[in-house]
Amino acid sequence: MTDPILTARMEANRTDSNTIDRYLETGGYEVLKNALASMTPEQIAEEVKASNMRGRGGAGFPMGVKWGFLADSDPKYLVINGDESEPGTFKDRQLLERDPHQLIEGIVLASYALGVNRAFIYIRGEYPKPARRVQRAIDEAYEKGFLGDDILRSGFSLEVSVHLGGGAYICGEETALLNSLEGRRGEPRLKPPFPAVEGLYARPTIVNNVESISNVPWIVANGGTSYAAIGPERSAGTRMFSLSGHVNKPGNYEIVMGMTWRDLIYDVAGGIRDDRALKTWIPGGASAPWLVPEHLDAPLTIDDATTLGTMLGSGAVVVMDETTDVVKAAHSIVRFFAHESCGQCTPCREGTKWLQDILERILRGEGREKDIDLLLDVSDNISPGLTWPPAMTTICPLGPSATAPILSITRYFLDEVKAYIPVSEVAGV
Amino acid sequence: MSSPIATWSAEGQERAQQLLALYPDKRSAVMPLLYVASLEHGHVTNEGMQQVAELIGVTATQVRSVATFYTMYKHEPVGRYLVSVCTSISCHLLGGDEVLDAACGAAGVEVGGTSEDDLVTVERVECIGACGGAPAVQVNYELIEGVTDIKAIDLIDWLRNTTPEVVLADELQQLFGGQKSFDWGVPEPDGAIAPVPAFGPYGSAEEGR
Amino acid sequence: MSDTTTVSITINGVDHEVEAGQRLITAAEKVGEYIPRFCHHDKLEPVGKCRMCLVEVEGPRGKQLVPSCTMIVNDGMVVDTESEVVEKAQEGVLEFLLINHPLDCPICDKGGECPLQDQTMAYGPGESRFIEPKRTYEKPIPISDVVLLDRERCVLCDRCVRVADDIAGDPLITFNDRGNHVQILTFPNEPFSSYFSGNTVQVCPVGALTSVDYRFRARPWDLEVTPTVAAHDTVQSTAEIHTSRGKIVRVYAAENDHLNDGWLSDRDRFSFAANHAPDRIVSPKRRVDGSFEDVSWPEALNTIAERLGGIAPERVGAIGGAHNTNEEAYALGKFLREVVGTNNIDAQLGDGFNAQLAAAVTPRATVDDVESAGAILVWGPDLKETLPVLYLKVRKAVKNGATLVVASPWRTGLDSIATSVVRYRAGSGQEVLRKLAQGSAHEDAAAALTTGPVVTLFGRASLSEDPRLAESVAAYGRTLPDARLMPLLTRSNVFGALDMGLAPDLLPGRVGIEAGSAGLDAMGMLGAAAEGALDVLFLVGSDPVRDCPDPALAAKALDQADFVVAIDAFVTDSSAHADVILPAALWGEVDGTMTNLEGRVQTVSAAFPPRGQAQSLLEIVRDLAAIMGSGDILPKDTDTASSSLANEAPAYAGVSRESIFFESDGTGVVVPTGAGTQPLGYIPTDAAVPVVTDRFTLHFAPSLYDDGVITRHAESIAGLVPDVTVRISPRDASVLAVSDGASVVIDDFLTLPVTIDADVAQGSVVVPFNQVATKGLIAASAVSVEPVRGDV
Ligand SMILES: Cc1cc2nc3c(=O)[nH]c(=O)nc-3n(C[C@H](O)[C@H](O)[C@H](O)COP(=O)(O)O)c2cc1C
Ligand code: SF4
Ligand code: SF4
Ligand code: FES
Ligand code: FES
Repeated sequence: MTDPILTARMEANRTDSNTIDRYLETGGYEVLKNALASMTPEQIAEEVKASNMRGRGGAGFPMGVKWGFLADSDPKYLVINGDESEPGTFKDRQLLERDPHQLIEGIVLASYALGVNRAFIYIRGEYPKPARRVQRAIDEAYEKGFLGDDILRSGFSLEVSVHLGGGAYICGEETALLNSLEGRRGEPRLKPPFPAVEGLYARPTIVNNVESISNVPWIVANGGTSYAAIGPERSAGTRMFSLSGHVNKPGNYEIVMGMTWRDLIYDVAGGIRDDRALKTWIPGGASAPWLVPEHLDAPLTIDDATTLGTMLGSGAVVVMDETTDVVKAAHSIVRFFAHESCGQCTPCREGTKWLQDILERILRGEGREKDIDLLLDVSDNISPGLTWPPAMTTICPLGPSATAPILSITRYFLDEVKAYIPVSEVAGV
Repeated sequence: MSSPIATWSAEGQERAQQLLALYPDKRSAVMPLLYVASLEHGHVTNEGMQQVAELIGVTATQVRSVATFYTMYKHEPVGRYLVSVCTSISCHLLGGDEVLDAACGAAGVEVGGTSEDDLVTVERVECIGACGGAPAVQVNYELIEGVTDIKAIDLIDWLRNTTPEVVLADELQQLFGGQKSFDWGVPEPDGAIAPVPAFGPYGSAEEGR
Repeated sequence: MSDTTTVSITINGVDHEVEAGQRLITAAEKVGEYIPRFCHHDKLEPVGKCRMCLVEVEGPRGKQLVPSCTMIVNDGMVVDTESEVVEKAQEGVLEFLLINHPLDCPICDKGGECPLQDQTMAYGPGESRFIEPKRTYEKPIPISDVVLLDRERCVLCDRCVRVADDIAGDPLITFNDRGNHVQILTFPNEPFSSYFSGNTVQVCPVGALTSVDYRFRARPWDLEVTPTVAAHDTVQSTAEIHTSRGKIVRVYAAENDHLNDGWLSDRDRFSFAANHAPDRIVSPKRRVDGSFEDVSWPEALNTIAERLGGIAPERVGAIGGAHNTNEEAYALGKFLREVVGTNNIDAQLGDGFNAQLAAAVTPRATVDDVESAGAILVWGPDLKETLPVLYLKVRKAVKNGATLVVASPWRTGLDSIATSVVRYRAGSGQEVLRKLAQGSAHEDAAAALTTGPVVTLFGRASLSEDPRLAESVAAYGRTLPDARLMPLLTRSNVFGALDMGLAPDLLPGRVGIEAGSAGLDAMGMLGAAAEGALDVLFLVGSDPVRDCPDPALAAKALDQADFVVAIDAFVTDSSAHADVILPAALWGEVDGTMTNLEGRVQTVSAAFPPRGQAQSLLEIVRDLAAIMGSGDILPKDTDTASSSLANEAPAYAGVSRESIFFESDGTGVVVPTGAGTQPLGYIPTDAAVPVVTDRFTLHFAPSLYDDGVITRHAESIAGLVPDVTVRISPRDASVLAVSDGASVVIDDFLTLPVTIDADVAQGSVVVPFNQVATKGLIAASAVSVEPVRGDV
């Protein structure tokens, strides 16, 4: 198995991997020094493109390709998406808290490659500690001359600051994030225009996930092709997976894609707690349709997930054992999306709350048999056809995400849903 | 013509000026300024929103429009300790709802309510990024992972009895936590002094205790 | 083959050639495929929020559901607006909108003209599947004195927010909260005080925003619609009067892309109450022993005719006529010139400037020119306060990329979007102009006026400003690249009146009178009357005591004049001095045409007959002339007047009520048209206005809601008249040693509290014109300012 890329340093230095001293001692900022001295911005961009790395924020768009779309007109911006708020996901928190300099070095390299002189790190409001650590690292980097004017006498300058969110999952969606950073409501924008053309302050902007950018130092140091050589062709590199729920060893694991779900759940995460049976799992964050034991031997790649009608999304795997009440679990997720809907488009604003209301009524024992069709039809009006990736009547994928658990429980656990419906309410009785 | 924030603490005024200078466009400072304003006023008040509006040159309604979008801006007074219990899926699976019930019971409040002594507000929140250490709780946004319903009761009691000046995550984790999402590394010297995220530039990080 | 300006698209299997660059929803509508919508509005930026307009468009990955309001048509686009998927999506959206919608259509003001109601009939599912508790909010809450908000009915389409923010620049109504709790709101205790708030009521697709005036007053199906123009200011926005049982219940904007784009100011929209005001004069009155007594029309007219018998024509004069239709003004002019025999006529009140300049300046700008200008110079009255819809047009031009320079002694509504603001001490404008032209100062402003076409909007910034400065500004504007000039007089139909010859030096149709033969202007007439040199004065809907720069002179003139005839709808400070008052018909009660500040002639129509015995001005002077034995000189009715002026007034040749109706698409025509000519083409020259060097100069400028007679009678906006203070610069405040709120005495006459205001040029004092508290102050260029001592 390949050595970890992102977590090697923190694994080796359990207490102080976040400090500048440890970072420097373990080879930190060397890549930056070399790159600024001997590489052109284009060369760095080339390496990133050659890495085939697909964005780790959920959408899985190749990072190098996205960079290529950045319109060439100053000023332009780089914004790091550290809003990580999807239930089950906590990988970026670890990268922010435990190795902030790795991210900063990635930011400087990316900014140099993109011709950006101002970068922002948007961190969700509920992450004050990661924000403090990143801020401290920024301060240290300024002190050492890795940030600020004329970095390492290269003539390249970069300002970086942290912006804390205010409690809104939707700000993870990149255009909502840009609105939020501009001091507006975190409502997703209509696309096009895409941020690379018209982003922050209507200027060309690249938005990348924390994990995506944290990979850049390694890619630049080792070459894009070495990165591309890791793992399956269209799921190159290592990837952080957040495992949670009923597993013995919850946590973040940096793995090479291509292993099976069985390997991940039973090997990496230590299997199901108390040796119970696996009932179902969410393969890619709360927005992903669920998988069930029959899928255990499917390989863990972006494309295989798509084939199974789901996605790896944010890399969050939430495992549920046989004791799980899936109706309650689905309710928790639907409630999440209803709570986090920005409310600007009708189907999501009205539909997610309606789904929540119906589920709550069912859970109260006031369900009717026709509520199952109603749940599916309301879902269908948010996400026509209930396929994955979803068709949408909405502006962004948040609304359709709320239909994933409905689809999952009605597909795999219909009996358990029906069990909530009082006999008197079952048609024909 | 006096400054709209002449009534703020010297520190608050200084932070406001720094924040206004931080961004290419002043409007970007609205969210951080709302945190500073809630520190100054105890929560996000109409006056606070008007002041922020004046500082960045937009209307008070525009500020309110932003301030009501995000859940961390509190428009009503909250207790000195804001206890946020996650019941999103990973925490739900491992007993988050029971932790919430226990915390409410200990504080003698309904979800969202504030204890009679004005010390503790218990709220339900969605995922706070600690799913590997579920169920997770935050006190003034400082995290505790692996909380049980019993520990939650202890936590509430402890907060009300010891009324710490600064809420330190490492301390709370040691007293009331369990399973963590990952190693936390060196203990953090900074903590929260109010129900506002303890992030230096926004106004509430404090050196140790 | 499509050329560059059209593209071919296929809608439901039928090919269409449509204009490129437009939104699919609009293109489809134009070819007869109406796609339902809530948030889409032609004049607003697309937001794609309601999702009602979803259609299927073929793309690389098969058919995709997209909102047709955000899609720009492109060549080869294949669209399905009727597929099963589309129908299901639209039904779904409608159902989502209805689940929380109250079932109060029977008592909703919008009932009968609500697309939600209509579309529910057309597309929606029948019985409700929603059995959860509905979202409830407090029922209508007033968000201003004129607008009510019912959040339960709101479909969150964002139209009102966009109108307030993007169009009007008053972002006072916004979305609050999020998700299922999103709601439209104003800030607590901060009303939606925008001069344009009524537009939100008109664009609200449902009954969520309603006007206080209209509430429960009528149902759409018993409304009668009368197309007309809003006649409060010289923009003359195209509008509709909606009446129910003979009363105006609301005024709506009409879409006129050459003019108001479907917007109105609140003054235009909400001040119609004057028509039905209880204190309207409804019968002729004659003064007997110091008080008025009702008389019959023949009695009143005979009294006047007697008075005019044998009098020397130069001892008769008339002030006013700016509120009347062109046909009325034309008749008045004919009466004075041809029946009485005098050129002492003035539709202005000494508050404007050179009538020939105003009526005939060349090259004259149209409102379309403003919209498409490369650069705009505004040097005159504050557009937001005086010509609010033109203010919107300038905002639009700036959005389109025009640079904007504003010159004014005090902050104006446009300053915040101006490329450059030239702030100057009142009375020093000529000096500033010289430097600007020479390039010795104000380089930013000069630099912002280099991209043509440059449109200069010129006028008198305040009543205390030398009227000749406007001509100097116009002369400067004429030197700018691809210059166009727009004169800014602000009162109602004053441009129509000038075009009809209601000026001492103009004859109908933009024909000049030689200086030697010209009559007296308003100030001249008032001066003459005050000195006993004028015997009979007609006040035609004018109130010089309130509106002219020298109220004391006006009052004296009316006292001294032998005989004053007021043709008016109200007893005003001026008409109170009259010997005879003749009840005049108001806007909404007469047919005719009016001409706006670009020379656009539009039709106005009577929505109901004049109140009581009131008559149109045309009827009044016609009958008076008949009594005086000259009945055949005057037109007998509006149509006759219209055709005779189309013959006699060169600039109006070929332009009649009828031709406008049939040829203009409802948008009016700009005169002179191809058939007309403009005998007088006025070329402005620099007037070399002397600079006022006194310690303090006065900026005495009107605001939208003044104490004018119409505003006073509109209950709904009377409350919006601003607080009155004297504004001085911080520097002058410290020299005078006065603090904010302290009192000062202006010209030993008026004591007012001070507001220290950094936007006031040093050496100037700003006093609002025509407010109760500033009544009587003479609009002199220089004033004295003394702190009130000893009241500390
Ligand atoms: C509802 C929603 C939530 C999202 N949340 C996050 C998030 O928390 N963090 C993140 O990096 N990307 C998130 N994304 C994806 C971003 O929009 C964007 O694709 C990503 O930040 C780009 O970075 P990457 O290319 O490096 O992955 C979210 C997208 C959606 C639609
Ligand atoms: S789908 Fe939901 S979150 Fe996304 S834009 Fe629409 S309302 Fe907002
Ligand atoms: S109040 Fe009317 S215009 Fe405004 S968002 Fe609601 S429905 Fe739309
Ligand atoms: S689900 Fe509770 S912290 Fe993520
Ligand atoms: S009309 Fe297109 S989304 Fe509303």
